[in-house]
Amino acid sequence: MDYLLEGLIKALSLLLKRDPETLAAIQVTLKVTTYSMAASLLLGVPLGFGLGFFDFPGRKFLRTLANTLLSLPTVLIGLLVYALLSQQGPLGNLGLLFTPLAIAIGQTILALPIVVALTAATIESLDQKLRLTLLSLGANRRQLLLSILWEARYGLLMAAVTAYGRVLTEVGISLMVGGNIKWYTRTITTTIALETAKGNFALGVALGLVLLLLAFGVNFSLMYLRRKW
Amino acid sequence: MVKPLFEIRGLFHAYRGKTALSVDHLIIPQGKITALIGPNGAGKSTFLRLLSFIEQPVRGKILYQGKALRLFEPATRKVVLLPQEPYLLRRSVFENVAYGLRIRGQKKGLRQRVYEALTLVGLAPEEFAQRPWYALSGGETQRVALASRLVLRPEVLLLDEPTSGVDAQSAFLIQKAVLEAQRLWGTNLIIATHDWDWVSEIADTWFYFAQQQVWEDIPLFVPGPWQKGPSFWVRPFRDGASLELEAPRQDSPGLAVFSSKEIKIYLQRPDKSLNILDFQIFKVSLNKKLGKIFVFLSREDISLVLESGAHLSLYPGQKVWLSFPQRAQKWL
Repeated sequence: MDYLLEGLIKALSLLLKRDPETLAAIQVTLKVTTYSMAASLLLGVPLGFGLGFFDFPGRKFLRTLANTLLSLPTVLIGLLVYALLSQQGPLGNLGLLFTPLAIAIGQTILALPIVVALTAATIESLDQKLRLTLLSLGANRRQLLLSILWEARYGLLMAAVTAYGRVLTEVGISLMVGGNIKWYTRTITTTIALETAKGNFALGVALGLVLLLLAFGVNFSLMYLRRKW
Repeated sequence: MVKPLFEIRGLFHAYRGKTALSVDHLIIPQGKITALIGPNGAGKSTFLRLLSFIEQPVRGKILYQGKALRLFEPATRKVVLLPQEPYLLRRSVFENVAYGLRIRGQKKGLRQRVYEALTLVGLAPEEFAQRPWYALSGGETQRVALASRLVLRPEVLLLDEPTSGVDAQSAFLIQKAVLEAQRLWGTNLIIATHDWDWVSEIADTWFYFAQQQVWEDIPLFVPGPWQKGPSFWVRPFRDGASLELEAPRQDSPGLAVFSSKEIKIYLQRPDKSLNILDFQIFKVSLNKKLGKIFVFLSREDISLVLESGAHLSLYPGQKVWLSFPQRAQKWL
């Protein structure tokens, strides 16, 4: 069990010494997760809102579909994106395979069902009286939409936090479509996988702690934000 | 000629194929306090939502000062609805009251107007403005919801059961606040309620809602079960009394409807033997403005409201006899 303690010490020293390889991995991780979160929120919140707010034929099926896609395995997404982006694939000419953008695309596919399903659930759980109240106070279409999203802010925040936790910690997609290229597409999780394979447990644990620290930082700032609202 | 506040023509509304309200023609006058009275489920809430243009009727027209409006048209903002169950936005009391002004872009003197509205409903602004939405009692919530509407100084304020589920003190403050709004800004008040006392005190004019319709005078409904006789229907009562009516065309009648004008009220049992039923008075309500007395009667599972002349001295607990005609005005 020594390597756990060793890992903790190593984690601190890596951060304090500003180890360039670790910093690069953190930077790549932050970059790709920011892209994928931005994309999945931009697409997922409107989709989830539509799914939760409007009643249309096929809605129940789409809800079930979104819930099913919550269980998408990352290796399957990796496989699909790989197939799409490889030289022989339909999007092969874009030359995106083994780039940070490829990871971001895969992670967006991973996060999208989470954002959609949780946004829809939040909007559905809003009181039916909310719409009547907003209309009775004279809200126009845009104000109605924005006010409903604002009323659902805690639920939307939870959706974002959950999705972020998933993209931050996934390894399958990064490994398969990122290629684990040092300085370029090597993320914290792929580094851990690599170091563990090399028998370098302490460094693996250290990077795991760094990852948790990162997650804590994000959640802490969000909770602070929530208190301010 | 002054245009009526609202004119309703050939209105029909339904939810999922089930009739919610049907009104041929109705005029709500300007500058009055109009009460919509009647039992729950009569269509009053539906009517208010239609008047506020939040819902569009399946058929028919609603003219506001001569104009037909649709949801999201700016003119509809002059008509403001306070729904039956108060709902507050997840923000402070101040932000709840300010919401309507903010979305109208009226930011001038915002704080002062919010404070004024809170004062109007009897909530001290210094104490309540910064409270979150969840730290309020039921009566306070209803009053914040009312303040959110009063702050808009609407031309028309539609109140849906504004005092149901609040204590007497809150009910009194709500009544005071809406009357003050009428006095200050000439707000037209349209109030849906089943509280006759409240209406008796303040309404100038009223419409009776029952069975998804508006009635000219208060109808009396006698529900079944009806048993088929040779040429009439019999409504038996547990105590052996019964009501016998001419057979309607339909096979299984539900409600027999009588006009209150057709019903006579006696203090002693009259000599006639047919269709005389004894009832017990459980409430007597005086409407000072209209100079009318409403008598509430019950017998077994039936309760009725009758308008009565002031010459009969009626009191709660008294037993009286009603004579019903042999023919119902109509059947539902």
